[in-house]
Amino acid sequence: MNLRLTHFLMWLAFIALMFAIPEFVSKGTLRTLIFANFLAIFAISWDVLSGRTGYISFGHPFLIGIGAYTSAILTKRFDVPIELAIPAAVAMTMVGGVVVFLPALRIKGSYFALVTLAFMELMYQLVQVIRPDLTGGTRGMSGVQTLTRGAVNGYYLSVSLMLAVALSMWLLMRTQLGTALSAVGMNEESVRGSGLSVTKLKLFAFLTSAFVAGLGGAFYVHYLGSIAPRALFDINFLFTIIVAALIGGASTIIGPVIGAFFLTFLLEYLRPYLPGAERYFIYGMIALLLYMYEPKGLIAIFSKGWQRLRGGAGSEQSSAS
Amino acid sequence: MSAALRITNLVKRFGGLVATDNLSFDVEDGQSVGLIGPNGAGKTTVFAQIMGEHRQTSGSIELYGREISSDSTPERIRRGVSRTYQVPRPFTDMNVLENIRVGLMPNNIWQMITAKPRYQQETEIALSVGFTETDLQKTPGELAMGDLRKLEMARTIATGTKVMLLDEVFAGLTVAEIAQITVLIQQMRQDGMTFLIVSHDLKALEPLVDKVIAINYGSKIAEGSFNEVLNDEAVRSSYLGAA
Repeated sequence: MNLRLTHFLMWLAFIALMFAIPEFVSKGTLRTLIFANFLAIFAISWDVLSGRTGYISFGHPFLIGIGAYTSAILTKRFDVPIELAIPAAVAMTMVGGVVVFLPALRIKGSYFALVTLAFMELMYQLVQVIRPDLTGGTRGMSGVQTLTRGAVNGYYLSVSLMLAVALSMWLLMRTQLGTALSAVGMNEESVRGSGLSVTKLKLFAFLTSAFVAGLGGAFYVHYLGSIAPRALFDINFLFTIIVAALIGGASTIIGPVIGAFFLTFLLEYLRPYLPGAERYFIYGMIALLLYMYEPKGLIAIFSKGWQRLRGGAGSEQSSAS
Repeated sequence: MSAALRITNLVKRFGGLVATDNLSFDVEDGQSVGLIGPNGAGKTTVFAQIMGEHRQTSGSIELYGREISSDSTPERIRRGVSRTYQVPRPFTDMNVLENIRVGLMPNNIWQMITAKPRYQQETEIALSVGFTETDLQKTPGELAMGDLRKLEMARTIATGTKVMLLDEVFAGLTVAEIAQITVLIQQMRQDGMTFLIVSHDLKALEPLVDKVIAINYGSKIAEGSFNEVLNDEAVRSSYLGAA
């Protein structure tokens, strides 16, 4: 596992910082942070699958949508208690994960990405056409039971969930399993040639990714209290997830969290100056520049800076002595 | 006594093309066998069938007396047969030790999560194929061709293989690198490894094999000691392209 004290301390500091934030910021900023927390969860989910194994998912809203819709429908239409609805939603999303996994047995690369995009589009059409009495059709649903009241509680819930997901995925990916999943992304044939079942590894990645997406989707719908298919199955939402993971640093778990916060605040602070869709132009440019300058993402920039700082401190010490 | 690897009446057709034509041969336990033949003779196709990357049209492949034709590639590797590729396929963003780690891993998700990497064993394997301590943290991009071949062999050794199939191990290597790999294979033979070696470089192959099998158009044209096969009329004409 190779866990070091510094890792432990950094996690502790990160968790402490995240829990202290409501003391210092406004309610409006908290609401932005809540969105950032959920975006971080979705980006981690994407990273566990696509960042590791190289199977680029353009259909993550499909998985998130299954989680959100299942829990919303169960609680609102069938009066299922929320404690049962969320696990059921996660289980349904994992079934969805298997569905997305099936094409990955035969196709990869951009073809796989396109198929997953089709899943998202299909889901968008289906929720509007099939049983609109359940799904709310084009308008979606409102008045879904919420778990928390007020921004502060919503923040604590979302940040706890995000930290739990981030920490557990980070630990999981530091095991040999993480190495094996990365190996799948680098060279599938060589993984098979090392005596490992690629199918089993891929299935695990899809299930884990779906688990996280379903969890995030279900909690998100019970935070918002509503569901809007046009916002959920939206290409902008999809790209925000992917860009968050990529500019933060794919295949690192912490990178997508950093990326999610960076993106959310970027979009939020641009809002007063550019209220319209122009914001996405700026954010696209920044993502592009970042990605060209450092494909390994913000986390690589930070760790290089950190090393330079430590290296600088070290040389100062040696020159002093 | 059954052979380590026994190929019986192996046939592989790709549409109208017969890539392997009723091929039979044995590799005894601890033996080192050379598989030679002109370009397109079907040597690599034989490897692909032994590993289950291609399924044979008919015929059987036995490993230590057990039919493996219905096993998947990872299952065959677990039973003790493994191959290297002409073009090395390392994990590009992993260092030497991590590359070997993948070969050492159990094929079980739960054990992958709970079991710690065996650093000791990884290091031992890396050193045994001729890497130095300073190489261990290098990534494939920093390694020369000869080192990549060694890395591929190390990962293959890590799977616990007993029968090793080497595909063109000397292709693209410098004279010094060929010498290194030769020493390595000799040492592994002494330690009891069974080899089936495909090579165009007959001079490099000569000291490494107990027996040579020559094939052309997918069928066996000669079998015997290195000199016997190289002096065989059919083998000579197949290489020279004469009828």
